[in-house]
Amino acid sequence: MIALRRFLRTPEAVAGALILAALLAMALSAPWFFPRDPQSIAGPALLRPFQDWTLPLGTDRLGRDVMAGLFHGARASLAVGLAAAAGAILIGAVVGTLAGFAGGLLDEILMRITDAFQTVPGFLLALAFVSVAGPSLATVIVAITLGAWTGPARIARAEVLSIRERDYVAGARVIGMHPLEIAFREILPNALPPVLALSSVIVAAAILTEAALSFLGLGDPNRVTWGGMIAEGRAVLRSAPYLSIIPGVALVLTVLGVYLAGEGLVETSATRRMNA
Amino acid sequence: MSDFAISRRGVLAGSTFLLASTALPAALRAQTPTNGGRLIAAADSEPRNLNPAIIASNGVFFVASKIVEPLAEASFTGKDGLEPRLATSWEGSADGLTVTFKLREGVTWHDGKPFTSADVAFSALQVWKPLQNLGRVVFKDLEAVDTPDDHTAIFRFARPTPFQLIRNALPALTSVVPKHLYEVSEIADNPANTAPVGTGPFKFAEHRPGEYYRLEKYDAYWGEDQPRLDEIIYRVLPDRAAAAGALEAEEIHLAAFSAVPLADLERISKVPGIGVISKGYETLTYQLVVEINHRRKELADRKVRQAIAHAIDKEFVVKTIFLGYATASTGPVPRNDVQFYSSDVPTYAFDVAKANALLDEAGYKRGEGGTRFALKLLPAPYFNETKQFGDYLRQALAEIGIDAELVNNDAAAHQKAVYTDHTFDLAIAPPVFRGDPAISTTILVQSGIPDGVPFSNQGGYANPELDALIAKAAETLDPDQRIALYVDFQKMVAEDLPLINVAEWGFITVARSSVKEVSNNPRWAVSNWADTWIEG
Amino acid sequence: MNRALRLIRRRLIGSIAVLLIVITGTFLLLEAAPGDAVDAYVVSVGGDASMIEELRRRWGLDQSAATRFAVYISSLARLDLGHSVAFSRPNLDVILERLPDTLLLMGSATALSFCLGTFLGIVAGSRPGSFRDRFLSIGSLALYAVPGFWLGLVLIVIFSVQLRWLQLGGIETIASGKTGAPRALDIARHLVLPVASLGFIYLALYLRMMRVGMAEVWRMDFVLAARARGIGRRRIVLRHVARNALLPLVTMLGLQSAAMLGGSVVIESVFSVPGLGRLAQEAVAARDTPLLLGIILVSAVLVIAVNLAVDLLYAGLDPRVGSSGEAA
Repeated sequence: MIALRRFLRTPEAVAGALILAALLAMALSAPWFFPRDPQSIAGPALLRPFQDWTLPLGTDRLGRDVMAGLFHGARASLAVGLAAAAGAILIGAVVGTLAGFAGGLLDEILMRITDAFQTVPGFLLALAFVSVAGPSLATVIVAITLGAWTGPARIARAEVLSIRERDYVAGARVIGMHPLEIAFREILPNALPPVLALSSVIVAAAILTEAALSFLGLGDPNRVTWGGMIAEGRAVLRSAPYLSIIPGVALVLTVLGVYLAGEGLVETSATRRMNA
Repeated sequence: MSDFAISRRGVLAGSTFLLASTALPAALRAQTPTNGGRLIAAADSEPRNLNPAIIASNGVFFVASKIVEPLAEASFTGKDGLEPRLATSWEGSADGLTVTFKLREGVTWHDGKPFTSADVAFSALQVWKPLQNLGRVVFKDLEAVDTPDDHTAIFRFARPTPFQLIRNALPALTSVVPKHLYEVSEIADNPANTAPVGTGPFKFAEHRPGEYYRLEKYDAYWGEDQPRLDEIIYRVLPDRAAAAGALEAEEIHLAAFSAVPLADLERISKVPGIGVISKGYETLTYQLVVEINHRRKELADRKVRQAIAHAIDKEFVVKTIFLGYATASTGPVPRNDVQFYSSDVPTYAFDVAKANALLDEAGYKRGEGGTRFALKLLPAPYFNETKQFGDYLRQALAEIGIDAELVNNDAAAHQKAVYTDHTFDLAIAPPVFRGDPAISTTILVQSGIPDGVPFSNQGGYANPELDALIAKAAETLDPDQRIALYVDFQKMVAEDLPLINVAEWGFITVARSSVKEVSNNPRWAVSNWADTWIEG
Repeated sequence: MNRALRLIRRRLIGSIAVLLIVITGTFLLLEAAPGDAVDAYVVSVGGDASMIEELRRRWGLDQSAATRFAVYISSLARLDLGHSVAFSRPNLDVILERLPDTLLLMGSATALSFCLGTFLGIVAGSRPGSFRDRFLSIGSLALYAVPGFWLGLVLIVIFSVQLRWLQLGGIETIASGKTGAPRALDIARHLVLPVASLGFIYLALYLRMMRVGMAEVWRMDFVLAARARGIGRRRIVLRHVARNALLPLVTMLGLQSAAMLGGSVVIESVFSVPGLGRLAQEAVAARDTPLLLGIILVSAVLVIAVNLAVDLLYAGLDPRVGSSGEAA
């Protein structure tokens, strides 16, 4: 309760949370408000916003409803962001825990692999991966995950190294728990909080990376994404700027919301820990 | 013909500004051309191999056609649509076994050596016939080239070859390269492929990868008082949005091949000092085609193919995707081809109800969720419009209960999926019509083509009747008879729909109005620009 | 000095393992790609079955993947990066031609984001919670949330097309014949917009790190002591707080070098800068495996070198860091 009150006292965090709530509402309500395929042709092409109240935000080059695209795009952006972050944290946590707990050769091998992934520019890796595997939502998520798991892995390993020698771990050893059980049941849960603190950064970066990939023509063609909408609107950037500004603003707000809310959470939990 | 007229009007409306600058040039032509100056053009791709004798493609021609010349060039006014370049006259024998070229005298290569019939013989036998993508088909029966003197070349064919076909092939297929440079080492690895040497009005100066190509005036060019320009620079602008900005900022003078997106043309045509020109691509007509994999049981059924044809609103495609800068197709030969086009073919009006009825008739009833069957749709990645048509076609197919999944590949993966592995159901391709159906059009429906050949029939379609017709036309010498056979060809393709022709388009050039003599021949962007000049 | 040498040696040995993993991974990735260099080539030029077969033979693509990999590794051991199929030139030449532009772009963008970010971070962090602190940190976050390509496109429209203050792309005026100082100035003018687009994105990172770091240092004993001694606020900020908060930023500099290289791919394509990022894109499109391997290798070496330099710098700044302290 105290934490919640503290969270609510930071205006930035509240703003972030509100943005995220709105985004979630958009994503969940999309099929209800816009049951048709958002890529279907709904009206005349290049209708400007606020002209026709059945198409409040206008239409794009082919006459697709921008408002419907915005709502359905929220689903894709959220899906990419959350799935990539979940994947990155899961892989990172497992690799980091194994490396930190096992030590020795396994640690060396895992950390060299982590180094290798960190050495290759993440976006370049994503670009090559999607070009090779073909653009679909799943490959985009995998591509982003590939470049994002190294941060969580390092932090998890560092945490595990410090937890490894604590009393309760020694206790678990004494009662004869299997080392893997110790690693994943005793150590990992305690190493997780600082790793989770990275999640907002990863979600935000994932949403931006998806947009950049779509911009280069590597988005899923069967789905509306904000990045894809921006890329579509780019050809008419000068004559119909609203087509890239509307999804662009949505994208910026979302990324900002994720950051602010994430930061608020981290700060609240940090102060809580300090007080405890 | 009605939608043709509409779209033409659309084209003209889009280029009213241009009408003032080039289409009605009488008043302006009185203006005396000035010599000198540097023309900067946008290039969106960067071919490494600039030898047009080996790679007869527009990306290569765009740069190389200023350096290496063909025997003849396409023309709006010349006889048979041609005007002389390295050949001054050409004549075919009645038996179709020889073609005699008289060559221009006093022409020199950029390294100063004289141009002779030996160069033509070498190019034809060592390059066009064995190595060139298009020449392998057209010159397959070329046996020998006699050179009785330095300025006569006589092509001898093993089997009768229609002179009409050879004539139509002259602009694109007959770039002449210097024998003395190519005979000393292997042709495919010759340094002149990346730094070409020709007889054209401009010499190759340098290529800075990722930045530009630079061509310089060739002072000893044979054309009188040509070239006008001192220098041509092709500035590499890989980003599609960049060309329009660069034109407005006066950093470039010219963007050909629709480098400025169609959707931006209306706006940019209103910018003072910039003209939008839709002329100059008449013999390089691109066709928007739905390729069909006939190995798929449903698609092997003609009724299903007809249903798909009825489901496509060609007028929407022309108006919305091409913004009027295209024409709806009726068959495999574009309407703007005066020699071969026939409108006497079965047509497929946009009619969703009929399409649904045809599918019901074929036995593909709507299942749960209203879907009859699902298929994979692969739009070619080369043009914005092919991708946009993919988005549209997916929606159009949904209306008739076909659930199409779009698969976007990059160029290499698309080539592999469609033309080698055949892992597609429908694909969208932009083949080029090059003035004669035998050059690059019949190959789209003919059977027996090995796997891996791009822009060919890889859909497993085999129609012995159509194959026989194609074979007969290939050896028919009389031009009128030949045309009649190709009229039948168009009828048969439109009837059986081995593929669906949706629309055909030429490109758009956007140029600063200070550039003169733009688009003055039907393949201007890939011609030699010897008479082009810049004001002031 | 001895410690530095040990650090370098350890790093070099580790780097070789890392590079081997990178090379193998890249090779496998491109091997799994649908379509090879010949497919990519044939798309642009057309051709028939015999020509396609001939090309595969000529480019060595008819051999097994294992053979090609072995050949590549053994030539690499002789420091030979091989031959590009798409450019038909040695890979090293192609890469070295593009490297300077990318280094210039990345270096300038890093300098911009680091210096400006640190400065604004000090401004923000010197009075935590104040209006200017909030304004700066939210403003920089908003910039961070803007996709780089979008920022680039908007900057082009404003500064190159409308105002015509700056060139809209390229690295220098084409075939201008300029040399020396005028040429440097010309390149600098061309670089303003791409550097701004790339640098502003990462600005927030340094600003916020600096600010957080300063907030922590403020609470430390020696600062409290200094404040108690009545030393002026400005002096405390600069001499004690900022100085100590700067250390983690230096580490960040190394970690970000890979990200910058990735970010420059998009920026190079928006601004038509003929750099390494665009070359990598071309190499993927052309399925030019040896070239892409070369690019990844060169950029990996670059990243490793930057990180080593940063570590050495760090070791110089902070005596607590020993050779054992840099386990991860």
